[in-house]
Amino acid sequence: MALVPFRYNLRSLFVRSSSTFLTILAIGATVAVLAGMLSLQQGFVTLFQERGRSDLAVFLRKGATSEGESGLTLEQCAQLTKEVPEVLRDANDRPLASAELFLAVRLRKFDGGETNVSIRGVEPMTFAIQGDDLRIADGKNFTPGSDELIVGKGLVSRIANCRVGDVLRINTVSFRIVGEFEGKGGYQSEIWGDLNRISEALQRPVRSRVIAKVQPGTDLAAIQTRYESDLRLQPAVQTERDYLASQTKRLSLTFQALGGFLALVMGLAAIFTGTNSLLSAISARTHEIGILKAVGYRPFAIFVSFLGEAVLLGICGGIVGCLMVLPFQGAETGTMNQTFSEVTFAFRTTPQVMVTAIVFAAMLGLVGGAFPAWRAARMTPTQALRRG
Amino acid sequence: MSTSIDIRSVTKTYHRGGEALRVLDELELQMAGGTFYALMGPSGSGKTTLLNLIGGLDHADSGEVLVGDEDLTQLDGSALAQWRAENVGFIFQGFNLLPVLSARENVELPLLLAPLSKRQRREQAERALELVGLQDRMDHKPRELSGGQEQRVAIARAIASDPQIILADEPTGDLDRTTADSVLELLQRLNRELDKTILMVTHDPQAASYAGKVIHLDKGKLGRIDDNTAAARN
Repeated sequence: MALVPFRYNLRSLFVRSSSTFLTILAIGATVAVLAGMLSLQQGFVTLFQERGRSDLAVFLRKGATSEGESGLTLEQCAQLTKEVPEVLRDANDRPLASAELFLAVRLRKFDGGETNVSIRGVEPMTFAIQGDDLRIADGKNFTPGSDELIVGKGLVSRIANCRVGDVLRINTVSFRIVGEFEGKGGYQSEIWGDLNRISEALQRPVRSRVIAKVQPGTDLAAIQTRYESDLRLQPAVQTERDYLASQTKRLSLTFQALGGFLALVMGLAAIFTGTNSLLSAISARTHEIGILKAVGYRPFAIFVSFLGEAVLLGICGGIVGCLMVLPFQGAETGTMNQTFSEVTFAFRTTPQVMVTAIVFAAMLGLVGGAFPAWRAARMTPTQALRRG
Repeated sequence: MSTSIDIRSVTKTYHRGGEALRVLDELELQMAGGTFYALMGPSGSGKTTLLNLIGGLDHADSGEVLVGDEDLTQLDGSALAQWRAENVGFIFQGFNLLPVLSARENVELPLLLAPLSKRQRREQAERALELVGLQDRMDHKPRELSGGQEQRVAIARAIASDPQIILADEPTGDLDRTTADSVLELLQRLNRELDKTILMVTHDPQAASYAGKVIHLDKGKLGRIDDNTAAARN
């Protein structure tokens, strides 16, 4: 079946440039909201996925879903760091395992108010385990056993008293900031110090977790089963990647749901705008529809012609929406994560986000254009010619 | 072979503001193929309605509209569209060209519905435009043409796909006398040289004088048919 030449639709869009522009802009604004939320969600997910390693085992207390809830005794930590045979050892035959203490404390933000910031007490072995994933960007690393701290790069400009040389008070202990570190993922939103000094300052005699570098191909479920009957231990163990994925799941879903909701509400508005704009466009071109019909174009060809025009408007709106969010690419923002502590992450408009946004926009065009296209198709030639 | 038209007891009623208006009243009319007919009558006598029924643009309420072997009252919207594409060329008073397309593209519109290659389409469109004397205006948009030139493009579009029937609704209504005469001469040539069946609605006796036969409608019924063959302008 012959279709109406697409250049007719294309040129008609140019002829009605103001109405075309406004429709594209309305769809673009809707798509920008969706793309923006998806970009935030991508930034958040990527933040943790980048950091998550599959060769690192994370041991928590059984039943704990995050290290904020977990609590391991010093004996349990000693046993896990020293006795699990799958844990790799360094050149000096020391196990590549480290106990860590994690707690969120209230600190003052530069822009006013307070927020929860993650404090992590670590052992020297943590740095060996992290290897190149962690780098001191400014100053130096803290000296083990001292009241020194290093601050993740993401916090320096957001949280007060976190610059190198500043003194940060945690409970009653004054710590000196000696370095700024950067690395993959969410560690950049944490403050690190010596495990024992942090434990004393926070008055927390337990540890939150043990991390250990394990042999490639280690079956962590088998480790968990092995220690299941050992009442002294009973750890919950998973790879760091899985652990972090479970930590971001809820917020990631929140971003998706929020983005979806906003896109739905604005999408409905855009559908009405698009429908209205196309209806007025069709009304202005009723006579031309009559001509096409008189010449011999079938109703279905007319339907496809106007629907195609609507989809084209949608796709253009989608591209405009993506262009609206692209300038924010890489911009950092912060939010509370699942452990209610401040986490900074970047806006990531990935190709996947853009494809999703443009497909969404095309769907907006399709839905918004269906009724006007149907109306154009069902007009008889004489009706259409007479109305013009 | 030229196509004859047979109108059998055709009735068409329009409903406006709750009032029924019978525009064609059991009309009986036979038209021979290859003849140039002018259709005259006072306003509301059913001229344009009859033209629309013969062109498959509208449906009769009752009766039969036979064009060649086809009874148009039996065809649905899509089948009528295809039939129009293959058999009829329309010329309207207001020219009815698509303003965003060039003269050549307007003429190509009906050819896109035929199984032709791009090159064949182009050649056929150019031939039609040459026939109406617009070979040097092919790439002009309608707004860049005079009224007479626009009507010539419309005629080129009507004949481009070589239909047997050409239906013209007041084709010279918007044109000055000189331009109108040249358009009417062109229609006359199409009838005489290419054996097209032409039915032209007009109020203008001078325009009707170019036709071989003049059909007079009155209140939806056939008044009379004048044979103008001998007197038709040359």
